[in-house]
Amino acid sequence: MKYRLFGIIFILFFLAWQTLDGLVEGNWGRLEGGLSNLAVFFEESMWPPNWSVLEARSYPVCEQEIEFFCSVGYLGMMETLKIAFVSTILGFIGAISLSSLAARNLMPLYISLPVRIFLSAVRSLPSLIWAILFVIVIGFGPLSGVLAMTFYTIGYLGKLQYEVFEGMANDPLEAGRAMGLSRPSIVFNIVIPENSNHLLSQIMFMFEYNVRHGTVIGIVGAGGIGYYINTYLKFLQYDKVFALLILIFIVVVLIDLLSLAVRSFVNEEGDVRKPTWLNMLLKARKKKSKSGDVA
Amino acid sequence: MSEDAILSLNGLVIGYDQPLVSPITLDVQEGEIIAILGPSGIGKTTLIRTIAGLVRPLDGDFDLRVKRRGGLGYIPQRLGLVRHATVAHNVSLGARLSVGWSKTMFKDRKERTLEAIRTLGIEEKVSEPVRRLSGGQQRRVATARTLAQRPQLMLADEFLGELDQTNVDIVLGAVHELVENGTAVIMVEHHEDNAKEFATRIWEIKDGQFIDMSIEQWTSNEATGEEE
Repeated sequence: MKYRLFGIIFILFFLAWQTLDGLVEGNWGRLEGGLSNLAVFFEESMWPPNWSVLEARSYPVCEQEIEFFCSVGYLGMMETLKIAFVSTILGFIGAISLSSLAARNLMPLYISLPVRIFLSAVRSLPSLIWAILFVIVIGFGPLSGVLAMTFYTIGYLGKLQYEVFEGMANDPLEAGRAMGLSRPSIVFNIVIPENSNHLLSQIMFMFEYNVRHGTVIGIVGAGGIGYYINTYLKFLQYDKVFALLILIFIVVVLIDLLSLAVRSFVNEEGDVRKPTWLNMLLKARKKKSKSGDVA
Repeated sequence: MSEDAILSLNGLVIGYDQPLVSPITLDVQEGEIIAILGPSGIGKTTLIRTIAGLVRPLDGDFDLRVKRRGGLGYIPQRLGLVRHATVAHNVSLGARLSVGWSKTMFKDRKERTLEAIRTLGIEEKVSEPVRRLSGGQQRRVATARTLAQRPQLMLADEFLGELDQTNVDIVLGAVHELVENGTAVIMVEHHEDNAKEFATRIWEIKDGQFIDMSIEQWTSNEATGEEE
């Protein structure tokens, strides 16, 4: 069994290597000097990051007491976060309605198949293309970004959700059906609570994804921090771009930590929480005072 | 076929690809408690699932004269609980089927849910997610759900298995409460002692043959078998 697994991994790696070799047409010389080029570019253009992106812009005049709140980094990131938040919520609502229609264990084939095809169609356009489309239709600004992200979220989250629904245990569904619960009632009262852990994890992942991609769609004029990244790229101000990328990285890490905290409410691992130092000390003190009372 | 029967099986043939049991023809009346006995894998669960409408019969048919919404209570072998939801949520799934649309609908549902939870003695766990409960407590939740539902026919698959005597008594107490209100009960049971204690009728599946008999007949057959 162990050897078979190694064999499969080796074959897959070999196939991947052969495919890559075909893609680069055997011209591996291109990689020569690549690393040193990157080092030069990093040292000369990106390092050190230019933190002036966290200082107040010269125009319009900052009316806030703390300069940071008028900075490009803060304003751009806040807009990206707002776009990501709204589009994740709207996308989640759209996705959950469609995914419950697309799951084969919840709906007959004649309903689930067309919905799946619709979700594939929505998903096949990347968020960047959706953004370009909405910029053409509505014009520049965050609304185009919100709509682009919402549509992409519906397609992407919809697939993740119906796959989770199809993988759930059958017995709660069978019990609900036999008892006479309606299909919407089964979805709301059985399917969603039973998969709450996965759904929360997916919504947090999607939010993080939308924050990261908010930077990309900003490049085509759909608002957010990407707009500023695009401007700095045009003016070859890579040190400012690097500072904004660090900011995005920090926000992504914070979202990941938030996701961990949110999921602990429904996670089975959350049932057996590791005691913190604080509650261990408090308990020890309580015990001590109790034994003191007895004495 | 009797018109007042709650369930009539008319030459019902059960199975997935091959028939598991000889054709079954019989009636079930209100207030009957039926235990299905037989070795593992002989078709007891398939019979229950067929009556619950989850498996199509291979031949024959059956008339289930219960309300479409909430008339049938079903406790599968793995209980069918929503593990990540609270005890109250699970039990309220039954209550929402037994309380019709009215101004006091939500209040009535809540009262019926709490009443069932109290009967099964799990009021301390009302806000706990089901996944944190022991096997016995989970079985009590499943029973409370059916009790709150007040079905006309209750189907249960081996739900007394692995329960200690205290839990068996609590659960059977709730089942008897349902039966007093006219519910018919069909239970798959592995332990003959349990069957003797609560059943009024026995369906035995043996070597592909279906045998329907009263509890008295079955007890005397058992006694004769032991003497021989």
